[in-house]
Amino acid sequence: MTTSAKTRERVWTVTFMFIVTLFSMSIVSALSLVTRERVERNASLFLYKAVLEAAGMEVPGSPEAVLKQYAAAVTAATNGTGPAHFRVTDPGAQAPRSYVFVQTGSGLWGSITAVVGLRGDLSGLTGLTFTDQNETPGLGARITEDWFKAQFRGRKGPFTIVPEGTKSASPQEFDGITGASITTRAVRDVVNRVVANGPAWAAEGAR
Amino acid sequence: MAPKAMKVFRDNLGVNNPVFVQVLGICSTLAVTNVLKNTLVMCLGLIFTTGLSNMTVSALRKWIPPRVRMMVEVLIIACYVIVVDIALRAYYPEISRQLGPYVGLIITNCIVMGRTEAFGLSNPPFVSLVDGLSAGIGYSYILLAIAFARELLGSGAVWGVRVLGDWWVNWSIMVMAPGAFFMLALVIWLINSQWMARAAAGKEKKP
Repeated sequence: MTTSAKTRERVWTVTFMFIVTLFSMSIVSALSLVTRERVERNASLFLYKAVLEAAGMEVPGSPEAVLKQYAAAVTAATNGTGPAHFRVTDPGAQAPRSYVFVQTGSGLWGSITAVVGLRGDLSGLTGLTFTDQNETPGLGARITEDWFKAQFRGRKGPFTIVPEGTKSASPQEFDGITGASITTRAVRDVVNRVVANGPAWAAEGAR
Repeated sequence: MAPKAMKVFRDNLGVNNPVFVQVLGICSTLAVTNVLKNTLVMCLGLIFTTGLSNMTVSALRKWIPPRVRMMVEVLIIACYVIVVDIALRAYYPEISRQLGPYVGLIITNCIVMGRTEAFGLSNPPFVSLVDGLSAGIGYSYILLAIAFARELLGSGAVWGVRVLGDWWVNWSIMVMAPGAFFMLALVIWLINSQWMARAAAGKEKKP
Protein backbone atom coordinates (compact mmCIF):
# COMPACT_ATOMS: atom_id res chain seq x y z
CA MET A 1 0.00 0.00 0.00
CA THR A 2 2.73 2.48 0.95
CA THR A 3 4.81 1.44 -2.05
CA SER A 4 1.95 2.13 -4.40
CA ALA A 5 1.35 5.52 -2.75
CA LYS A 6 5.02 6.32 -3.19
CA THR A 7 4.93 5.24 -6.82
CA ARG A 8 1.85 7.33 -7.40
CA GLU A 9 3.58 10.35 -5.87
CA ARG A 10 6.60 9.86 -8.10
CA VAL A 11 4.52 9.49 -11.21
CA TRP A 12 2.59 12.62 -10.26
CA THR A 13 5.82 14.56 -9.71
CA VAL A 14 7.12 13.66 -13.15
CA THR A 15 3.76 14.22 -14.83
CA PHE A 16 3.30 17.59 -13.18
CA MET A 17 6.78 18.74 -14.15
CA PHE A 18 6.16 17.55 -17.69
CA ILE A 19 2.87 19.43 -17.98
CA VAL A 20 4.24 22.66 -16.54
CA THR A 21 7.31 22.49 -18.79
CA LEU A 22 5.27 21.77 -21.88
CA PHE A 23 2.85 24.57 -21.07
CA SER A 24 5.47 27.26 -20.46
CA MET A 25 7.50 26.10 -23.45
CA SER A 26 4.50 26.45 -25.73
CA ILE A 27 3.76 29.96 -24.47
CA VAL A 28 7.35 31.11 -25.00
CA SER A 29 7.68 29.42 -28.40
CA ALA A 30 4.39 30.82 -29.61
CA LEU A 31 5.35 34.33 -28.56
CA SER A 32 8.75 33.98 -30.14
CA LEU A 33 7.20 32.82 -33.41
CA VAL A 34 4.66 35.63 -33.42
CA THR A 35 7.32 38.29 -32.91
CA ARG A 36 10.09 36.71 -35.00
CA GLU A 37 9.49 38.76 -38.10
CA ARG A 38 9.40 41.95 -36.08
CA VAL A 39 12.61 41.10 -34.23
CA GLU A 40 14.42 40.28 -37.47
CA ARG A 41 13.16 43.46 -39.07
CA ASN A 42 14.38 45.45 -36.05
CA ALA A 43 17.81 43.86 -36.39
CA SER A 44 18.21 44.62 -40.10
CA LEU A 45 16.75 48.11 -39.65
CA PHE A 46 19.35 48.72 -36.99
CA LEU A 47 22.18 47.75 -39.36
CA TYR A 48 20.69 49.83 -42.20
CA LYS A 49 20.48 52.88 -39.94
CA ALA A 50 24.08 52.36 -38.84
CA VAL A 51 25.30 52.13 -42.45
CA LEU A 52 23.45 55.31 -43.43
CA GLU A 53 24.74 57.12 -40.36
CA ALA A 54 28.34 56.03 -41.02
CA ALA A 55 27.99 57.24 -44.61
CA GLY A 56 27.21 60.66 -43.17
CA MET A 57 23.62 60.69 -44.41
CA GLU A 58 20.59 62.01 -42.62
CA VAL A 59 18.86 58.97 -41.10
CA PRO A 60 15.06 59.22 -41.52
CA GLY A 61 12.84 58.62 -38.53
CA SER A 62 10.28 56.17 -39.87
CA PRO A 63 11.23 52.54 -40.63
CA GLU A 64 9.69 52.69 -44.12
CA ALA A 65 11.78 55.72 -45.05
CA VAL A 66 14.94 54.00 -43.80
CA LEU A 67 14.23 50.93 -45.93
CA LYS A 68 13.54 53.10 -48.96
CA GLN A 69 16.67 55.20 -48.56
CA TYR A 70 18.81 52.14 -47.91
CA ALA A 71 17.52 50.36 -51.00
CA ALA A 72 18.16 53.44 -53.12
CA ALA A 73 21.63 54.32 -51.87
CA VAL A 74 23.40 51.21 -50.62
CA THR A 75 24.86 48.18 -52.41
CA ALA A 76 26.58 45.44 -50.45
CA ALA A 77 29.98 44.60 -51.95
CA THR A 78 31.04 41.12 -50.99
CA ASN A 79 33.45 40.03 -53.72
CA GLY A 80 37.21 40.07 -53.19
CA THR A 81 39.19 38.76 -50.26
CA GLY A 82 38.60 41.74 -48.00
CA PRO A 83 35.74 41.90 -45.46
CA ALA A 84 32.19 42.56 -46.58
CA HIS A 85 31.37 46.22 -46.90
CA PHE A 86 28.76 48.59 -48.30
CA ARG A 87 29.01 51.07 -51.15
CA VAL A 88 26.80 54.11 -50.56
CA THR A 89 25.89 56.37 -53.47
CA ASP A 90 23.99 59.65 -53.47
CA PRO A 91 20.82 59.60 -55.57
CA GLY A 92 21.69 60.27 -59.20
CA ALA A 93 25.45 60.26 -58.61
CA GLN A 94 27.85 57.84 -60.27
CA ALA A 95 30.89 57.78 -57.96
CA PRO A 96 30.27 56.34 -54.49
CA ARG A 97 29.74 58.81 -51.71
CA SER A 98 31.13 56.50 -49.09
CA TYR A 99 32.49 53.02 -48.40
CA VAL A 100 31.18 51.63 -45.14
CA PHE A 101 33.02 48.89 -43.24
CA VAL A 102 31.87 46.84 -40.28
CA GLN A 103 34.79 45.97 -38.02
CA THR A 104 35.06 44.37 -34.59
CA GLY A 105 37.62 45.02 -31.87
CA SER A 106 37.89 44.01 -28.24
CA GLY A 107 36.79 46.48 -25.60
CA LEU A 108 36.91 46.12 -21.84
CA TRP A 109 33.97 43.74 -21.31
CA GLY A 110 33.45 42.29 -24.75
CA SER A 111 33.72 43.00 -28.42
CA ILE A 112 32.91 46.38 -29.93
CA THR A 113 31.49 46.37 -33.45
CA ALA A 114 32.08 49.65 -35.21
CA VAL A 115 30.60 50.81 -38.50
CA VAL A 116 33.09 53.13 -40.17
CA GLY A 117 32.46 55.13 -43.33
CA LEU A 118 35.26 56.35 -45.62
CA ARG A 119 34.65 59.08 -48.20
CA GLY A 120 34.27 57.90 -51.77
CA ASP A 121 37.55 59.60 -52.71
CA LEU A 122 39.14 58.11 -49.56
CA SER A 123 40.07 61.57 -48.30
CA GLY A 124 38.64 61.09 -44.82
CA LEU A 125 35.89 59.61 -42.68
CA THR A 126 32.21 60.22 -43.35
CA GLY A 127 31.14 58.90 -40.00
CA LEU A 128 31.41 56.35 -37.24
CA THR A 129 28.82 54.48 -35.25
CA PHE A 130 28.51 51.29 -33.24
CA THR A 131 26.18 48.33 -33.63
CA ASP A 132 27.39 46.31 -30.68
CA GLN A 133 29.24 47.14 -27.47
CA ASN A 134 29.09 45.98 -23.87
CA GLU A 135 31.10 48.75 -22.23
CA THR A 136 30.31 50.22 -18.80
CA PRO A 137 27.22 52.46 -19.05
CA GLY A 138 28.22 56.02 -18.21
CA LEU A 139 31.90 55.32 -18.91
CA GLY A 140 32.99 53.27 -21.91
CA ALA A 141 29.48 53.21 -23.32
CA ARG A 142 29.79 56.97 -23.87
CA ILE A 143 31.48 56.09 -27.18
CA THR A 144 27.93 55.87 -28.51
CA GLU A 145 27.23 59.52 -27.62
CA ASP A 146 27.07 61.97 -30.49
CA TRP A 147 29.93 64.23 -29.41
CA PHE A 148 32.29 61.26 -29.45
CA LYS A 149 31.21 59.89 -32.82
CA ALA A 150 31.05 63.33 -34.43
CA GLN A 151 34.70 64.13 -33.82
CA PHE A 152 35.81 61.58 -36.44
CA ARG A 153 33.69 63.05 -39.20
CA GLY A 154 35.74 64.66 -41.96
CA ARG A 155 39.05 63.68 -40.40
CA LYS A 156 41.61 61.56 -42.17
CA GLY A 157 43.52 59.64 -39.49
CA PRO A 158 45.40 57.53 -38.49
CA PHE A 159 44.21 58.68 -35.10
CA THR A 160 45.84 59.28 -31.75
CA ILE A 161 44.08 59.88 -28.43
CA VAL A 162 44.22 63.11 -26.45
CA PRO A 163 42.58 63.66 -23.05
CA GLU A 164 38.85 64.39 -22.90
CA GLY A 165 37.96 68.05 -23.13
CA THR A 166 41.10 69.02 -25.07
CA LYS A 167 40.01 71.29 -27.88
CA SER A 168 42.27 69.82 -30.52
CA ALA A 169 42.17 70.92 -34.13
CA SER A 170 44.78 68.52 -35.47
CA PRO A 171 43.26 66.15 -38.03
CA GLN A 172 44.81 63.14 -36.31
CA GLU A 173 43.75 63.67 -32.71
CA PHE A 174 40.50 62.76 -31.02
CA ASP A 175 39.30 63.14 -27.45
CA GLY A 176 39.37 59.96 -25.40
CA ILE A 177 36.95 59.30 -22.57
CA THR A 178 38.23 59.84 -19.05
CA GLY A 179 38.05 56.61 -17.09
CA ALA A 180 37.62 54.46 -20.20
CA SER A 181 41.11 54.21 -21.68
CA ILE A 182 40.77 50.58 -22.78
CA THR A 183 37.52 51.27 -24.62
CA THR A 184 38.94 54.37 -26.27
CA ARG A 185 42.05 52.49 -27.40
CA ALA A 186 39.88 49.73 -28.85
CA VAL A 187 37.91 52.29 -30.86
CA ARG A 188 41.15 53.93 -32.05
CA ASP A 189 42.52 50.58 -33.24
CA VAL A 190 39.35 49.61 -35.09
CA VAL A 191 39.10 52.99 -36.82
CA ASN A 192 42.80 52.98 -37.70
CA ARG A 193 42.47 49.50 -39.17
CA VAL A 194 39.79 50.77 -41.53
CA VAL A 195 41.81 53.89 -42.33
CA ALA A 196 44.83 51.72 -43.21
CA ASN A 197 43.11 48.92 -45.12
CA GLY A 198 39.86 50.50 -46.30
CA PRO A 199 41.20 51.77 -49.66
CA ALA A 200 42.52 48.31 -50.57
CA TRP A 201 39.30 46.62 -49.43
CA ALA A 202 37.20 49.08 -51.38
CA ALA A 203 39.30 48.59 -54.54
CA GLU A 204 38.96 44.81 -54.24
CA GLY A 205 35.22 44.99 -53.73
CA ALA A 206 34.86 47.12 -56.88
CA ARG A 207 36.62 44.59 -59.09
CA MET B 1 -8.58 45.93 -0.74
CA ALA B 2 -8.70 43.30 1.96
CA PRO B 3 -6.93 44.32 5.19
CA LYS B 4 -4.38 41.53 4.83
CA ALA B 5 -3.43 42.58 1.31
CA MET B 6 -3.19 46.19 2.53
CA LYS B 7 -0.81 45.20 5.32
CA VAL B 8 1.30 43.07 2.98
CA PHE B 9 1.53 45.98 0.56
CA ARG B 10 2.63 48.45 3.25
CA ASP B 11 5.09 46.03 4.84
CA ASN B 12 6.86 45.30 1.56
CA LEU B 13 7.45 49.01 1.03
CA GLY B 14 8.63 49.58 4.60
CA VAL B 15 9.41 47.22 7.46
CA ASN B 16 9.78 44.18 5.20
CA ASN B 17 11.45 45.92 2.25
CA PRO B 18 13.34 43.43 0.07
CA VAL B 19 16.36 45.69 -0.42
CA PHE B 20 17.10 47.43 2.86
CA VAL B 21 15.59 44.91 5.29
CA GLN B 22 15.99 41.53 3.61
CA VAL B 23 19.00 42.74 1.56
CA LEU B 24 17.96 40.69 -1.47
CA GLY B 25 18.47 41.42 -5.15
CA ILE B 26 21.74 43.23 -4.54
CA CYS B 27 23.32 41.89 -7.75
CA SER B 28 21.01 43.97 -9.92
CA THR B 29 21.41 46.95 -7.59
CA LEU B 30 25.08 46.96 -8.52
CA ALA B 31 24.60 46.26 -12.19
CA VAL B 32 21.84 48.50 -13.50
CA THR B 33 21.70 51.55 -11.25
CA ASN B 34 24.26 53.76 -12.98
CA VAL B 35 21.76 55.15 -15.49
CA LEU B 36 18.20 56.03 -14.46
CA LYS B 37 16.52 54.92 -17.70
CA ASN B 38 17.88 51.36 -17.60
CA THR B 39 16.96 51.11 -13.94
CA LEU B 40 13.34 52.01 -14.61
CA VAL B 41 12.94 49.37 -17.32
CA MET B 42 14.61 46.80 -15.11
CA CYS B 43 12.28 47.72 -12.23
CA LEU B 44 9.16 47.47 -14.41
CA GLY B 45 10.32 44.05 -15.63
CA LEU B 46 10.87 42.94 -12.07
CA ILE B 47 7.51 44.19 -10.80
CA PHE B 48 5.76 42.36 -13.65
CA THR B 49 7.69 39.13 -13.06
CA THR B 50 7.52 39.01 -9.30
CA GLY B 51 3.81 39.87 -9.24
CA LEU B 52 2.67 37.35 -11.83
CA SER B 53 5.03 34.52 -10.87
CA ASN B 54 3.97 34.85 -7.24
CA MET B 55 0.33 34.67 -8.27
CA THR B 56 0.90 31.70 -10.58
CA VAL B 57 2.82 29.71 -8.00
CA SER B 58 0.10 30.50 -5.48
CA ALA B 59 -2.63 29.32 -7.87
CA LEU B 60 -0.78 26.04 -8.41
CA ARG B 61 0.31 25.60 -4.81
CA LYS B 62 -2.11 22.75 -4.06
CA TRP B 63 -0.79 20.65 -6.95
CA ILE B 64 2.94 21.41 -6.87
CA PRO B 65 4.78 18.33 -5.52
CA PRO B 66 6.90 19.60 -2.60
CA ARG B 67 10.01 17.83 -3.85
CA VAL B 68 10.19 19.74 -7.11
CA ARG B 69 8.66 23.03 -5.98
CA MET B 70 11.83 25.02 -6.65
CA MET B 71 12.10 23.66 -10.17
CA VAL B 72 8.51 24.66 -10.82
CA GLU B 73 9.11 28.13 -9.38
CA VAL B 74 12.18 28.74 -11.52
CA LEU B 75 10.35 27.47 -14.58
CA ILE B 76 7.42 29.84 -14.04
CA ILE B 77 9.71 32.79 -13.29
CA ALA B 78 11.86 32.06 -16.35
CA CYS B 79 8.75 31.88 -18.51
CA TYR B 80 7.60 35.37 -17.46
CA VAL B 81 11.08 36.85 -17.81
CA ILE B 82 11.45 35.52 -21.34
CA VAL B 83 8.07 37.02 -22.17
CA VAL B 84 9.41 40.41 -20.99
CA ASP B 85 12.62 39.90 -22.96
CA ILE B 86 10.83 38.99 -26.18
CA ALA B 87 8.40 41.89 -25.82
CA LEU B 88 11.28 44.34 -25.36
CA ARG B 89 13.19 42.93 -28.32
CA ALA B 90 10.15 43.16 -30.58
CA TYR B 91 8.69 46.50 -29.51
CA TYR B 92 11.48 48.42 -27.75
CA PRO B 93 14.66 47.28 -29.52
CA GLU B 94 16.66 50.31 -28.33
CA ILE B 95 16.03 49.64 -24.65
CA SER B 96 16.53 45.91 -25.14
CA ARG B 97 19.93 46.58 -26.67
CA GLN B 98 20.95 48.87 -23.83
CA LEU B 99 19.95 46.44 -21.11
CA GLY B 100 21.71 43.56 -22.84
CA PRO B 101 21.79 40.46 -20.65
CA TYR B 102 20.30 42.13 -17.56
CA VAL B 103 16.68 41.35 -18.41
CA GLY B 104 17.46 37.63 -18.55
CA LEU B 105 19.16 37.97 -15.20
CA ILE B 106 15.84 38.86 -13.53
CA ILE B 107 15.37 35.06 -13.41
CA THR B 108 18.13 34.84 -10.84
CA ASN B 109 16.96 37.85 -8.83
CA CYS B 110 16.62 36.53 -5.30
CA ILE B 111 13.54 38.66 -4.60
CA VAL B 112 11.38 36.85 -7.16
CA MET B 113 12.19 33.39 -5.95
CA GLY B 114 12.21 34.56 -2.33
CA ARG B 115 8.63 35.81 -2.61
CA THR B 116 7.29 32.67 -4.32
CA GLU B 117 9.05 30.46 -1.78
CA ALA B 118 8.15 32.46 1.31
CA PHE B 119 4.74 33.81 0.34
CA GLY B 120 3.23 32.37 -2.83
CA LEU B 121 3.43 28.76 -1.67
CA SER B 122 1.35 29.40 1.44
CA ASN B 123 -1.11 32.16 0.47
CA PRO B 124 -4.04 32.56 -1.93
CA PRO B 125 -3.46 34.06 -5.39
CA PHE B 126 -4.78 37.60 -4.94
CA VAL B 127 -2.77 38.37 -1.80
CA SER B 128 0.23 36.79 -3.53
CA LEU B 129 -0.18 39.07 -6.49
CA VAL B 130 -0.29 42.09 -4.18
CA ASP B 131 2.72 40.77 -2.30
CA GLY B 132 4.72 40.24 -5.47
CA LEU B 133 3.84 43.63 -6.93
CA SER B 134 4.59 45.49 -3.72
CA ALA B 135 7.89 43.65 -3.22
CA GLY B 136 8.77 44.79 -6.74
CA ILE B 137 7.75 48.36 -5.96
CA GLY B 138 9.67 48.29 -2.68
CA TYR B 139 12.74 47.22 -4.62
CA SER B 140 12.13 49.76 -7.37
CA TYR B 141 11.92 52.95 -5.35
CA ILE B 142 15.20 52.23 -3.55
CA LEU B 143 16.90 51.38 -6.85
CA LEU B 144 15.55 54.47 -8.57
CA ALA B 145 16.79 56.65 -5.72
CA ILE B 146 20.24 55.07 -5.94
CA ALA B 147 20.27 55.39 -9.72
CA PHE B 148 19.28 59.05 -9.50
CA ALA B 149 22.20 59.79 -7.16
CA ARG B 150 24.68 57.72 -9.16
CA GLU B 151 23.76 59.21 -12.52
CA LEU B 152 23.82 62.73 -11.09
CA LEU B 153 27.21 62.34 -9.40
CA GLY B 154 28.76 60.02 -11.98
CA SER B 155 27.63 61.66 -15.21
CA GLY B 156 26.25 65.02 -14.05
CA ALA B 157 22.98 64.05 -15.70
CA VAL B 158 19.40 63.04 -14.92
CA TRP B 159 17.57 60.76 -17.37
CA GLY B 160 20.43 61.19 -19.85
CA VAL B 161 20.10 65.00 -19.85
CA ARG B 162 23.08 66.88 -18.48
CA VAL B 163 21.91 69.09 -15.62
CA LEU B 164 25.15 70.01 -13.88
CA GLY B 165 27.27 72.54 -15.74
CA ASP B 166 30.80 72.21 -17.09
CA TRP B 167 32.20 73.02 -13.64
CA TRP B 168 31.11 69.58 -12.48
CA VAL B 169 33.78 66.88 -12.57
CA ASN B 170 32.19 63.44 -12.98
CA TRP B 171 32.90 60.96 -10.21
CA SER B 172 33.86 57.98 -12.33
CA ILE B 173 33.62 55.68 -9.33
CA MET B 174 29.89 56.38 -9.12
CA VAL B 175 29.13 54.71 -12.46
CA MET B 176 31.24 51.67 -11.61
CA ALA B 177 30.18 48.84 -9.29
CA PRO B 178 31.89 50.22 -6.14
CA GLY B 179 29.74 53.35 -6.44
CA ALA B 180 26.66 51.17 -6.02
CA PHE B 181 28.14 49.57 -2.91
CA PHE B 182 28.73 52.98 -1.36
CA MET B 183 25.28 54.30 -2.23
CA LEU B 184 23.50 51.15 -1.08
CA ALA B 185 25.44 51.13 2.19
CA LEU B 186 24.54 54.78 2.76
CA VAL B 187 20.86 54.12 2.05
CA ILE B 188 20.72 51.12 4.39
CA TRP B 189 22.59 53.02 7.07
CA LEU B 190 20.37 56.08 6.82
CA ILE B 191 17.15 54.11 6.88
CA ASN B 192 18.22 51.80 9.67
CA SER B 193 19.68 54.50 11.89
CA GLN B 194 16.90 57.05 11.39
CA TRP B 195 13.64 55.40 10.65
CA MET B 196 13.93 51.72 11.58
CA ALA B 197 15.66 52.42 14.89
CA ARG B 198 12.95 54.88 15.82
CA ALA B 199 10.25 52.37 14.89
CA ALA B 200 11.97 49.72 17.03
CA ALA B 201 12.31 52.13 19.96
CA GLY B 202 8.62 52.96 19.70
CA LYS B 203 7.73 49.29 19.91
CA GLU B 204 9.91 48.67 22.95
CA LYS B 205 8.32 51.50 24.93
CA LYS B 206 4.85 49.96 24.74
CA PRO B 207 4.93 47.48 27.67
